[in-house]
Amino acid sequence: MSDIAKTLALSASGMQAQAARLRHVSENIANADTPGYHRKLVSFGEVVEGGRHTGKVETGPVALDRSELARIYDPSHPLADESGHYDGSNVDLVVEIADAREAQRSYEANLRMFDQARQMQSALIELLRR
Amino acid sequence: MFENLEILRQAQAMAAHAGARQSSIAQNIANADTPGYRPTDLAPFAEAYREAGADEGLRRTRGGHFGGEELRAAVAERFARLIPGATSPNGNGVSVEAEMMRGAEVLQQHELALSIYQNALGVLRTSLGRQR
Repeated sequence: MSDIAKTLALSASGMQAQAARLRHVSENIANADTPGYHRKLVSFGEVVEGGRHTGKVETGPVALDRSELARIYDPSHPLADESGHYDGSNVDLVVEIADAREAQRSYEANLRMFDQARQMQSALIELLRR
Repeated sequence: MFENLEILRQAQAMAAHAGARQSSIAQNIANADTPGYRPTDLAPFAEAYREAGADEGLRRTRGGHFGGEELRAAVAERFARLIPGATSPNGNGVSVEAEMMRGAEVLQQHELALSIYQNALGVLRTSLGRQR
């Protein structure tokens, strides 16, 4: 694989990983009001193929945030216990939005590198056309 | 005959070096959120060209010049180096801003190499009496 083709593959893997991260953020936000929901976390790791480091990135298995669920006071809620409380989710919207923004920025950085490699390749092809 | 012209050879090596460096930058950016990842970079072209010239690694234009997968890997391995600097709490050392700077440098170097190549070809064409 040429260096430019490798660059395109690397940037694409980065974009894919960031997109997966964004998907989990949106799942968390969608479930911010679901009782008993634990926020999902994804980790990133390097792809190893046949014992060799390829440099590509992939998302690891999904982990659940083990922090305590929010106790919400609402005696009229069907899930409320004797004290009138029920377990909400442990999603913090501010954290999720910050995470989403970070994923977006990283995605953009990968996209720029992808575009730059594409530019270099088309400049090379342009050289052949003359 | 023409591939032995020093200027064409040098421009070719320069463009290939820009491509290899772009690849390492893309790898760093893709791994900007990978815990424990340390960014790498290639030696600057002048240094790589001088060093490789001593043992005919980069300058060789015959068969294997940047063609063989093995040679390419060997060259990338040889001139790759870790970028020193602070790491974030998860052990990742990538600075996206620094990578963007390197990206701009690489693009410039690649364009420069291609322009030199194109101009050298133009001179050749003119000497052959053809329109540029």
